[in-house]
Amino acid sequence: MGDSPDQMNYRHLRHAQPRFSGLESGHRACQGCGEALGARLVTEAAGPDVVYANATGCLEVFTTAWPDSSWRVPWIHSLFENAPAVAAGMEAALKARGKATRVISMGGDGSTFDIGFQALSGMLERGHNVLHVCFDNEAYMNTGVQRSSSTPHAAATTTSPSGKERMGKRHLKKDIVSIVAAHHIPYAATSSVAYPSDIRKKVRRALAIDGPTFLHIHTPCPLGWGHDGALSIEVARLAVQTGLFPIIELERGRLAGSMPIRTVRPVTDYLQLQTRFRHLFADDDRAREELEHLQALADHNIEIYNLRGTQADSRDSEGADTVRRGGMRWA
Amino acid sequence: MGLKLTRGAFAHPGTSLRYHTGSWRMERPVHVHRPAPCHSVCPAGEDAQAWLGLVAEERYREAWETIVAANPLPAVTGRVCHHPCEQACNRGHYDEPIAIHHVERWLGDQAIASGWDYPAAAVAHDAPAVAVIGGGPAGCSAAWQLTCLGYRVDLFEALPVAGGLLRSALPPYRLPRDILDAELERLLASGIAFRPAQRLGRDFSLDELKTEYAAVFMAPGTQRSRDWDVDGATPHDLHIGLDLLKRWVDIGSIPSWSSAAIIGGGNTAIDLARVLRHCGVETVHVVTHQSLPHAGVEQPDTMPAIAREIEQAMEEGVIFHEHRGVQRLVLRGEQVTGLELVHRKQLRETDNTLRHVSFEGTESLLHVDQVIPAIGQTVDPAGLASLLDQRDYLLASEHGRISGHPGLYAGGDACGRHGSVSAAIGDGRRAALAIARDLQRQADPDSRPADPVTPAQLNMNYFEPRPRQHAPVLPVAERSGEAEVIGGLTPQQAAQESQRCLSCGNCLACDNCWTLCPDVAVLKTRRPAEDGSHYVFDYDFCKGCGLCARECPTAYIMMEAEP
Repeated sequence: MGDSPDQMNYRHLRHAQPRFSGLESGHRACQGCGEALGARLVTEAAGPDVVYANATGCLEVFTTAWPDSSWRVPWIHSLFENAPAVAAGMEAALKARGKATRVISMGGDGSTFDIGFQALSGMLERGHNVLHVCFDNEAYMNTGVQRSSSTPHAAATTTSPSGKERMGKRHLKKDIVSIVAAHHIPYAATSSVAYPSDIRKKVRRALAIDGPTFLHIHTPCPLGWGHDGALSIEVARLAVQTGLFPIIELERGRLAGSMPIRTVRPVTDYLQLQTRFRHLFADDDRAREELEHLQALADHNIEIYNLRGTQADSRDSEGADTVRRGGMRWA
Repeated sequence: MGLKLTRGAFAHPGTSLRYHTGSWRMERPVHVHRPAPCHSVCPAGEDAQAWLGLVAEERYREAWETIVAANPLPAVTGRVCHHPCEQACNRGHYDEPIAIHHVERWLGDQAIASGWDYPAAAVAHDAPAVAVIGGGPAGCSAAWQLTCLGYRVDLFEALPVAGGLLRSALPPYRLPRDILDAELERLLASGIAFRPAQRLGRDFSLDELKTEYAAVFMAPGTQRSRDWDVDGATPHDLHIGLDLLKRWVDIGSIPSWSSAAIIGGGNTAIDLARVLRHCGVETVHVVTHQSLPHAGVEQPDTMPAIAREIEQAMEEGVIFHEHRGVQRLVLRGEQVTGLELVHRKQLRETDNTLRHVSFEGTESLLHVDQVIPAIGQTVDPAGLASLLDQRDYLLASEHGRISGHPGLYAGGDACGRHGSVSAAIGDGRRAALAIARDLQRQADPDSRPADPVTPAQLNMNYFEPRPRQHAPVLPVAERSGEAEVIGGLTPQQAAQESQRCLSCGNCLACDNCWTLCPDVAVLKTRRPAEDGSHYVFDYDFCKGCGLCARECPTAYIMMEAEP
């Protein structure tokens, strides 16, 4: 099959991009996938001298449809529950051979919060020099949107539907970053795909540290959350701007930084974009109560992490989202 | 598969590139350059967004050349234009509009200081010749555009120097003469044949020009004052506003009254009021049936004068009487001692006509020594009587054509449509383009302009508040009539102001699309791509999610149905 000049030019251009990306086109993620974007941003920030252990989940499936791979970095998948353990083994082997190559383990919220939690806890406890990145899309999306311990309160999934008995998930979202930080590790942080420069900064900060580190990235799932793929960034940004997903850094278990919110938005701005919260907008006393409940959770986050920006100045959000003519801010 | 193992035994990179996810797509992102609102509303046709971008990139000379491609007098319009661009600026919905006129002025001054030549190629000796009548803004603009289009141009001016109303009636505190001279001198040196002291109807006739030139563009301005009286009564020493202003600009003197009332709400009325104050007239009133401008309130009967000029006149002690009309002149003999004013408004009738209504019981007396009408001018019919046909103005189409007279074109104040320097410059440019098309027997392009970018289409999450830069203003006590009242920006301020531009409808190479595509289907180009952006879409892999369009801060990316 002959290539058009355009295709040849594009192939050449793709190989001459001015920054490294560990994830390549042709993966099978849905349109507007937040997790694919998150993985792309992490590999870009980490650079080429990294090996990855990937837990079972969407990311593993959509990047490695046999016999293709979208990874341009050494990458291994073993099981749902053992990515941090595999990473720990790789790290020990690299260390024994005197290599400086960095190790990152990756997983979704299912493997991080639930299924692989003990492997993660063990890796942290043994003090391996590994960064674990959790791409949090708040349910088991790969198997058809089942609730996880990361699913937020009142969200509907196939196993926490809304109906006569319940308004979506009854329980609260697990506070994973505090649990991880309680291992007394040097660095644990949260971030969001809506703030790529924040992700870059935190990946680099974590990789510069000798010891176990943890990065929790909020990644919208258009399919599971029920929003248009074009809105993935908008939804992620609103999660931050409402206070429902605080962007924080914890060092040795203590709060070391937080991204202030320039203008705090009501939680309904975030919720109404997603069909998983559609039942909260019904004419129903329980729905009204749950809306107030979610607003209270957001207000609580803003209070305990001190997220309210003092004024509309450029230091709010640390300029994370500001465009500059001629790019360079996300280099 | 015969794949050679790489060092470290990792899988061969990028093999999923053989799987083209572009087939999933229902809609595709495309780059669409749409006009920014500042561009859409500019009477002169400047694309402020384009040249502000060049200023931000420190490409100052290119920025200036971009302006002069539409408007050859940026140092002038940067000072005297009422800048509708800034009212339209999308940034006004966020914090404050860009100070476009200040940056324009700074660029114009920069060009003067650096002696940048106007970018026109030499015109061929045997190129068709076009005559331009009137060396004011419309005439200069047409002459410049025709030169750029490759025509020989003879520019006829009745006075010994070019500039038109800019020179004869604009007070130097608004437009210093050294700036005007520097601008016009360089413009006329760009290949235009300037023919000073040539008055239509005295030194040449329209018929002569029609036989000697391929086309004639007329921008004679409005040289004749309207008649003014109140129920047939006029004071014996009546002075017309524009004549007084011209006299003061010319010889620097004005009769010394102790009080005066100026009738009218245009720029002439305001300029004259301020000049009278500068010359020591104790009490100066401006009487108009229109309303004062109120920030943010769009009223159909707002005074046509520039709002900032009105504001400065107030600072200088000019007293305004809005919604008032003169009911009666209070005369002692033939000398004015006062005016009987009455509340007066224009009311719209059911048939959509406007009617002046005076409200009984609101009469009041204003004691003044002098009443000065500044109620507008009409075209001097000398040499143009056959075209005017009893009208006050020349009747020309949007492109400046005069129906029934092929080869004749008109623009500027003489067409009586708008009456601003920028509009005159726009008239000149449009007429020049129409002349070129007519001479080359080309049809007018389908010129329905694209809709400008609205604030809702921009993604304002990517901008942060940044205050507008302010130019220094001369304190009231130091305003003499000569010294320029509004100062210029510093180079740092001009740069900062240009960086505030949101770049509506145009790529500012911010990297958003390149960074945020989950499918790595936006590629960054080394040099600007064909459409002027720095990115191309790789449709082999783009799944059409629309995320790039949604997150494009400047609404430069649009989704369109897959062909």
